[in-house]
Amino acid sequence: MDFSQVELTAEQQAFEKEIRDLLATSWTPNYAQIALDHDRSPREVRLAMAKRGWVHPELAPEQGGAGLGEIEQEIITSLFEEFYMAGNASNALLIPTLEQHGSAWLKEHVLPGIRTGELTTCLGYSEPDNGSDIAAAKTRAVQDGDVWVINGQKMWTTWGNESDYVFLLARTGPIEDKHRTLTMFLVPMDAPGVQATPVWILGGGHTNVTFYTDVTISDNYRIGPVNEGWSVMSTPLATEHGAGVVTEGVVPINGSMGAGFSRTFEKLIDGAIDWAASRTSPDGRSRLEDPLVRIALAEAMLDLEVCWNAEGELGKPMAAEALATNADRLADMAAPEGILAFGVDGSIAAGIIASERQHAPGSAIYGGTTEIYRNNLARRLGLPRPY
Amino acid sequence: MNDLPTDGAERPSCGEWFNAVVHTAACARRTTLGGELTTILRRNDYTLTDEQDQLVAMLRELFTEHSPVEVVRAAEPLGFDPQLWGTVQRNGLLTISIPESAGGDGGGLVELALTGFEVGRAAAPVPLLDHVVTMRALARLKADGVALPIDWESALAGDTIVSLAPISSWELGAELVPSGAVARAVLARRGDALVLMTRGTNAPQAPNDGCAPVAWWSPDDAEVQTITLLEGASVAEHWDLTHREWRIATAASLVGILAISGEIARAYAVERQAFGVRIAQFQAISHDLVDMHMDELTSRNVTLKAAWLTEHEPDFRPELAAMAMAQATRSVLRSTAAAVHVHGGMGITLEADVSLFYRKASAWSLVGGGMRRDLEEIGRAIDRRAAERAQWHQNNELVKR
Repeated sequence: MDFSQVELTAEQQAFEKEIRDLLATSWTPNYAQIALDHDRSPREVRLAMAKRGWVHPELAPEQGGAGLGEIEQEIITSLFEEFYMAGNASNALLIPTLEQHGSAWLKEHVLPGIRTGELTTCLGYSEPDNGSDIAAAKTRAVQDGDVWVINGQKMWTTWGNESDYVFLLARTGPIEDKHRTLTMFLVPMDAPGVQATPVWILGGGHTNVTFYTDVTISDNYRIGPVNEGWSVMSTPLATEHGAGVVTEGVVPINGSMGAGFSRTFEKLIDGAIDWAASRTSPDGRSRLEDPLVRIALAEAMLDLEVCWNAEGELGKPMAAEALATNADRLADMAAPEGILAFGVDGSIAAGIIASERQHAPGSAIYGGTTEIYRNNLARRLGLPRPY
Repeated sequence: MNDLPTDGAERPSCGEWFNAVVHTAACARRTTLGGELTTILRRNDYTLTDEQDQLVAMLRELFTEHSPVEVVRAAEPLGFDPQLWGTVQRNGLLTISIPESAGGDGGGLVELALTGFEVGRAAAPVPLLDHVVTMRALARLKADGVALPIDWESALAGDTIVSLAPISSWELGAELVPSGAVARAVLARRGDALVLMTRGTNAPQAPNDGCAPVAWWSPDDAEVQTITLLEGASVAEHWDLTHREWRIATAASLVGILAISGEIARAYAVERQAFGVRIAQFQAISHDLVDMHMDELTSRNVTLKAAWLTEHEPDFRPELAAMAMAQATRSVLRSTAAAVHVHGGMGITLEADVSLFYRKASAWSLVGGGMRRDLEEIGRAIDRRAAERAQWHQNNELVKR
């Protein structure tokens, strides 16, 4: 057990300063931008990071990374957070899958750019008629000689409007065979017949519905054997869910989504503290001294600490629900101004309490609903499959 | 564009702007204020050493053998089993977390927390945790040259049981004392003084549904002698650390109750049939079982983190002990209730093991004053963060609305 401070080496300090200077000279933090867990850093930032091997810094330099360890990765995360910068546009979920299952052609022509981060990816799992029930996918891929013709629709293709490739789950046999007739593809988003249309969501921002009309791609874009898609996608899906978080003792234990939501939660609390510090009770004392305010803030801080201590797959449902509960609690604490949006006369803390209350429900849905997480956790506890 | 834009007009975001931001995470990652900004990382490692694993295995075995539920029930209503106490004494459990300089084995708060987990799992009817926390406090006073009006060797061996009054810093007069019905000496805070109350006979138990050996101790009681141990500026620091250690040890015992009641509920839900299926197949049941598991693991981790940091860096995030206690308290109350509920009508019968742990949950968790007091303590973190934010506001042109 060890929670001590890490003494950074001279090299690590220099690395920290290099990124800090890069961000400080070219990026101004946007305090109103709170839901960073759901955002991707801008293209210019990504390319600047990619050039230095910092999008996937854990990879070896010859693989497009910088051969850096956990500490350097955490420095990057910490600085992005400090500068209110959305996370690195990571392809980390897909790199191991492409290395294991990608065709020789994909490995030669696409994988290098995905490793450096010059190329970006998005996920094509859900459809209009199925979300959590992934194996009910209807989007069909039909082989015609040495090409595949894809037709169908995908929902929640977040970043589909600006990604280079979509990791697409397609039906390649009778739908009655559920997960036994699924195949994975890496489809170029600029292929003729691919169209992304925005779907606007609570809290601003959008995800996409993507349409695939007679999209014709070479067999080179297939990932893994035909009809083995279920097993090909299982590793990135489990990684996304935070299962088996491997840490050398520096990264948070609560998985990427759990940690992302926890950081957002922390900014929510900061906004609430800003509000309390700026308000005065009729007796002339700061609202920070108001026992009702202190109870609400203390409970929020307690919930946040609990989120950081929720390991692996517990991380996401814990943080998503804490975020929603506390967005309500703190909006109520800061009522009535707590409901006002950024820039509106009388709004507080750059509107982040109001905007996070809008964002929060999505946290418990995207990347797998909290119910799906509980089903997975139940299985790990040795409980039988649901009735 | 191959690199970041440097011209302000091209900055790739929108809204109002700040020149710099200081971030202080609640977890491992921190950035300090003042002078050169720099990132500070903390380790986040919860793994136990081999020795700690062995300690847990030894404790598990001992309490499984000597403190099954039959023993727990037989020790009621007092909630104290002299024979089990003798076993605890003989196996050296009372000196594990006492400094070597005071005659102990030199273990720390983490070892005490691990002990607490196992005491709670067994709902062991012994005042082990209260006694050891108090002995650690007395050992610190002793090391500071304070004369103690008790027989040290007798207390170290557990022949004289000692405890403390966690609520004494905010209650005046009589206090409900954990393990107060079996202790002969109780450490308490009286304003700017630390005192030791002693009595020659056991105080009568204050009856409670959890059958915890709690008792009223009053300085006005003719049986009670009050001796001042320490006065002045250092009292607050001494008491604060002792109170934190008590919160950590008590939270750990609640984690143990969470673990065992979760196991009991899962075992029942896998076995019990309704509508032709096992009730664990209903998500309404299985998701509750998962929530209980989440309560257990998070409470455990916060408690271990609080134990390690209080031991090694007591000035860093001093609110963590109260956080561990608050999380364990709310978790054990709701999760033991959920465990009862999973059992249906059987759960509310007194003969069901799950109802035994439900009874222990409130008695063990609330005797220190309840979660409101923990939240009050967590207020330390609000003030610290507010000060950091004020500094940030000073350093930056901040949006005021």
